[in-house]
Amino acid sequence: MRSDRLNAVFSALADPTRRAILARLATGAANVMELAQPFDMSQPSVSKHLRVLEHAGLIVRGRDAQRRPCRLEPAPLKAVAEFVERYRQHWEQSFDRLELHLQRMKTDEALKPKGKPRRGQKHTLATNDSRFTK
Amino acid sequence: MSNTADREIVIARVFNAPRELVFEAWLDPKHIDQWWGPRGFTTVTSSMNATNGGAWHYVMRHEQYGEFKNRIVYREIVRPERLVYTHDSGVDDDASAFEVTVSFVAQGARTKLTMHSIFSSAAELERVKGFGAIEGGKQTLERLAERLAQPH
Repeated sequence: MRSDRLNAVFSALADPTRRAILARLATGAANVMELAQPFDMSQPSVSKHLRVLEHAGLIVRGRDAQRRPCRLEPAPLKAVAEFVERYRQHWEQSFDRLELHLQRMKTDEALKPKGKPRRGQKHTLATNDSRFTK
Repeated sequence: MSNTADREIVIARVFNAPRELVFEAWLDPKHIDQWWGPRGFTTVTSSMNATNGGAWHYVMRHEQYGEFKNRIVYREIVRPERLVYTHDSGVDDDASAFEVTVSFVAQGARTKLTMHSIFSSAAELERVKGFGAIEGGKQTLERLAERLAQPH
């Protein structure tokens, strides 16, 4: 997806009314009048939102001048969802590695001598301390 | 709802370690090089100055995809609870930079880490798309490599 198109998609999605319109269209095609009803909005302001959604490629409008039914175009939404999913995967994988590394850090911490070695404590502990060997 | 909520990705994880330790894992090259990046990537720190306004320069390498230069500029470091940084490709005024806030909350002996990534333009998203497209195929990464190679 081109960058300007992606930009249009994100700014279109940034508005709660437009997201609600998309949610409505996910259940099936509708015209301006049908869309205006649940939102308690005038038809011109719904039309304004529809133009933004259409520009972003998120909806397609029918050619019939009277009715102009709108339907959802899933491709751009899919591209956004895929992007978010990839980003999430990147970090989930990093965090898996972090979890493992923290266990190693905890083991190293536990091996550090705490204060004066008590009688009977092996002195080899101190020489194994990562602070001295690294 | 904050005004950034629509262009924000939030990822959270609870780690079985005290938060001082989790925080340390983010700000010490000895540690961060061991875990930063998805499977198949290695991270090598070039330099790290973990202070407000300081930067971490590092290279991410993949056997197949090659090398990717990155820079993180620390905006706010509050030990051991919060980290705010800008992530970019290492050049000033990078249009593809994005802002990240990482919070560390102690939950007994555990730590809840929450990462908020805020994207403010398509350019940023395009870059992160490459950055995140590890499984997404070579093509995206090649595009990313080309973009990173472009002089700004």
